Order: sequence, then structure tokens, then C-alpha cells
Amino acid sequence: MGETKKVKTICGYCGTGCGLILEVKDNQITRVRGDKDAPVNQGQTCIKGALGYHYMHAEERLTEPHVRKGGKLVPTSWEEALSLVANKFHDIKTSFGSDALSIFACARATNETNFVTQKFARAVLGTNNIDGCNRT
Amino acid sequence: MGSNTSEAHPIIANRMKKAAKKGLKIYVIDPRQIDMTKFATKHLPLYVGSDIALMNAMIHTILKNGWFDKTFLENNTTDIETLREQVSLYTPAYASSVTGLSEDDIIEVAEAFAKADKGMIAYTLGITEHHCGVNNVFDIANLSLITGNIGKRGTGIMPLRGQNNVQGAGDMGCLPNMLTGAVPISDDQHRNRFEKAWAVSLNKHVGQTQTVMLEKMNEGRMKGLYIIGENPVLADVHMSYTKEALENVDFMVVQDLFMTETAKMADVVLPAKGWAEVEGTYTNTDRRVQRVRAALDAHENLKDDWEILTDIANLMGYPMSYESSEEIWHEVRELAQTMYGGMSYERLSETNGLQYPCPDNDHPGTEILHTRFQENKKLDHPSPFIGVSYTPPVEQPDENYPFTLTTGRRYEQYNTHTQTKYYPDQVKQKQTEETVDMHPEDAKELEITDGEYVQVRSRRGKVTVKAKVTEQVQPKLVFMSFHWADVPTNKLTIDEFDPISGTAEFKACAVAIEKID
Repeated sequence: MGETKKVKTICGYCGTGCGLILEVKDNQITRVRGDKDAPVNQGQTCIKGALGYHYMHAEERLTEPHVRKGGKLVPTSWEEALSLVANKFHDIKTSFGSDALSIFACARATNETNFVTQKFARAVLGTNNIDGCNRT
Repeated sequence: MGSNTSEAHPIIANRMKKAAKKGLKIYVIDPRQIDMTKFATKHLPLYVGSDIALMNAMIHTILKNGWFDKTFLENNTTDIETLREQVSLYTPAYASSVTGLSEDDIIEVAEAFAKADKGMIAYTLGITEHHCGVNNVFDIANLSLITGNIGKRGTGIMPLRGQNNVQGAGDMGCLPNMLTGAVPISDDQHRNRFEKAWAVSLNKHVGQTQTVMLEKMNEGRMKGLYIIGENPVLADVHMSYTKEALENVDFMVVQDLFMTETAKMADVVLPAKGWAEVEGTYTNTDRRVQRVRAALDAHENLKDDWEILTDIANLMGYPMSYESSEEIWHEVRELAQTMYGGMSYERLSETNGLQYPCPDNDHPGTEILHTRFQENKKLDHPSPFIGVSYTPPVEQPDENYPFTLTTGRRYEQYNTHTQTKYYPDQVKQKQTEETVDMHPEDAKELEITDGEYVQVRSRRGKVTVKAKVTEQVQPKLVFMSFHWADVPTNKLTIDEFDPISGTAEFKACAVAIEKID
């Protein structure tokens, strides 16, 4: 059995942004506590923050890309999945123009991912059709 | 207003409750008798969607009684006479007939808010998820401005963000009209700056909101769609409309942690790392940028969301590569220096987060915005009042659909439940399945008992759901959340949207409730 390590982070649920301390053993979160040094929550947590982490270890987590073949989504390699995406987006862009493409960005993901998402939309796809679940 | 704070933002609610014990007066303005009402000076249970009638009557009352600081208004605002005209109809008597509140309560809350030395309005989706969501927010701004509640500690407008990084996603530029750092895409100077940095020419035309994108999909004019970490099939209004739109897209990619209801409709599904597996930052509801850290080694076949995007970019012939999230953050800080220039990962760690704007390394971050309003001098660009009119919810109850359905969240669950269904069994939850919450009078009339399964039907769909008989809702009002996939509440909700924000009217549609024989 490994040692328990403590990792200081921020809750991934609501916009309050509570500081959390994750206790991790053998690559499993074993406990989540409120971070007493965090200015937002000063050590407190709600049920989602403290106990809502089990999804990270769920068996149903996707670990392989899937592509639709014969009407069904089947597991495949990254190489095949990403080439398909790149080719299809390229074809749509060429045939119908950039504004026939759109992205729903993720208000749950990091700033860094969101920055790259909009850069991808604008610089690669060539469209400003980018929006997210912050609106709906 | 329109914030079920203790269930949707429990830790903020705790702070409010603590302050209430020390003397803070809380007025809860919400159609439902939510838990926060226990800590309130007064609960004003207005009819769903009548917020503008209440706020206009408050402004009317404040103007009529002179409960405002004339110098503050002269220094900081314009168009007060237009506003006065706009609210002239909204006497407490008229507002009482529209909101269902008593005239005395309307006058009381107006006086309390105007005369308090510090007053703040906290709101959530109860304000924005209406066909008039933007007008609701305009009126909150009018009310804050006319009472001088802006630009000093303990005042202001506090939109409580629902998701961890709603603020950040928008600030990063995941909006059809804004680039990173909240600068308009249509502004040549800013756009040119990004074009230079990215060595590419950018489309200067504002893009479509998600609402309009879905419309275009339904019309067959949107061919490709890339969805990252979102489950619109369950989360968006009018499910059959959403599904039709997505089916109409030629090629759809979904990037997620799970095979969600939306992922099942995709042509390609890409698995991503999740929270606790990635490094980066989130921006919370009060503009605090905070460091998020990886605690777990993800499955070896998973990639960071941004890594998947850069892989596709490279395959499409646009070179994009980052060694780490920190390298991406450096680019953000360079492109939006006035907001984030002083926010290195190192400083964010040392400080437990910094509030933007924070332009350089010596800047302490900005706790309070709009302080110019409190400088006691005439502003170069004073704020105009923007008067708005009350418009009732689009779909009114009638004899066929006699109830108003309003939707929201419950304490333990989160949105479409893809994450919160994994609580271990020993966690005691108040609610483990969806209910339609209805008033005892209505239940009695329909001979429905608590715990009985009933059918809820709107013009767009129907669901079977357990009845919860509770005085938390008003007579003729029913409440449901959309957490559980087996009761897809958004089959019922209406595809009516605010014309400016594109936000849907999740908070009001007409339904019928029937016993199941």
C-alpha cells in the first residue's frame, strides 16, 4: 500500500470555487476536506465538494475513442478517431465554409482548455460559432 | 433574487446565514419558499417571471419618496428622467396585482434597500432563465445604481455562477462575440493583435449563440458540431427539438468523461481527462483565478482536453503545441495582460488565488470593481439608466395546461447527474429521484397523494414522475429539477429565448398534471 498524499486544489462543481485538499492513496481519492487556507470557503465544504468525487473512479469512464461504424459507436485508436475528425471538419470547411461549423465549449473545463478551444475555433476552423453551457 | 442559494451555492449561503446572525437583513425574492427564507428578514413570494414589475415598483417608490442621493446620481448616471417615465406606471398597487405581493411588502423592501448603507443583489438563473433575462439584469443594474450600491465593499451586483468555470470560459473567449480578455472580436485593433500572435487571419463577424446554432442545425445549415463536456440532450429546453437539431448535423464530435445521452448521438466520441487529473486554473464567481491541480494519474489512454484540440489542429495544418497548461497560461497572460499579466502560476499558488484585473507582478489583484462611482466627482462616462418593461412568461397557464412549471436544482445533485450519480450508498441523500413538487391545495383538488406517480404534460412532451406535496411551492406552481435521465424534465420546457442572450425560459411553461389510473 502506498503513502497518502495531499493535493491542494479547487472544487469542480459550482462557481463558488471552494479550496479543497484531496487525500490520495494508491491513485484513489480517499477523502476530501475543505482547505482552511482558501479565502472562499475557509475550510467548509458542501456534499458535492466533499463526497461528489466518486465519478472520477467510475468504471463507466471512457478510456477509448469511439467512432460510428455501421450505425454503432465502436472503440478505436486515437489515430483513426482524430484523423476522421480532422478530415471531416476540413471537408465541411471547404464545401460549406467555416460558419457551417460550431463548437459548444465547456464551462467545467480549465481556463487553459477554454483558451485553446476558442483559439481552435477561430484560428483553425475559422469561425466565431463558439458558445457554451454558460448560456443555457 | 432568483437564487436557491443554500441548495445551489451552499457555501455562499453559509456566509450569508452567518452574516444574517450578525444583523444582515436578507430579503428573499423567489416564487418558492426555499430554505434561505428561514434566514430572511422577509420572503417575497412573487409570481414566476414578475421580477421587473417588482423592481420597477421599487424604483418608482424610491423616486417618489426621494430615497436617493441626488449628487451620486448627478455624478455617475444619465437618463434618470427616462427611467422615471418608464416606471411611472408601476405603482405599488399595479405591481401588487402583477406580482401577487402586498403593496406594503413592496414599499418595505424598496425602503430597506434604498436606506441601507450597503446593499447587494445576489441573483442566479431565476433571473436569467427567462425570455426577458437580459431586461431582468438591466433592472437589477438600475436598482443598484439608483441606490448607489456599487463600487464599495458590501455592495454591488453578484451573479452567482452555476458552474465552476462559467466566468473563466467566457473570459477566455468561448463566446461568439469576444476574444480572450473580454475584448470584442469586431474591434479591429484587438483582433489584429490576436492575428499577429497566432499568425492567421481571423473572421471578424460575430458568431452565433448556442441557441441560434441549434436553430441552424434544425434548418440543416449547420454541418459540423464539436461538443466538449456538455450534455445538451438533457440540459437544454424542449428535448425533442434539441435531439432533432443534433440529428440534423452531418458530423458531430463529443468529448467527455462518459458516454452521455448526447455522446450516444455522436459520430466520434473522444475520452478526456477530468477534474483531479488535470493542471490549470478556474475563475470563480468573484473573479478569483485559482490553481487546479492534478491529484490522480489518469488512465494512460486519456488526454487533456486541450491536447486533443491541438492534435486535431496539427492534423488540419495549423501548428499548435503546448508542453503544459502553464505554457498555455503564459499565452493567455500575454494576450490579456491587463487582466492576467500578474497572475503567474507561482503567484497564484502563493496567494491562494488572485482577482482580476491583475496586470503585473506587483499588483495585488482587484477586490472591488467600479470604485470610480464612489469618488465623488463627475464621471467622464456616466452610466445610463436603461428602463425596461414587464412582460409575462411567454406560455401562460390556461384550462388545458393549468399549472406553471418552474425548474431548478436540488442540493445533492448536479445538472444532468453524470457525476453525482456516483455517490456511495452510505451517503444519506435527501432526494434520490425526481419529484414534481406541488402545493397541498392542488394535490387535494386532483386527489393526488404524496409519493404517488403522476403524469406531467406540456405542449411539447410528457413525463411520469413522483408527486411531492409541499408548501414550498405556491398554489398553481409546480417545481422540477432535470437531474435524473429517467425523468427528462426538459421534454416539457419551452423553446422560447431571450432575444439578446439566447438563454431559454427554463423558469416558466404551462403544464397539466394528471393521475395515472
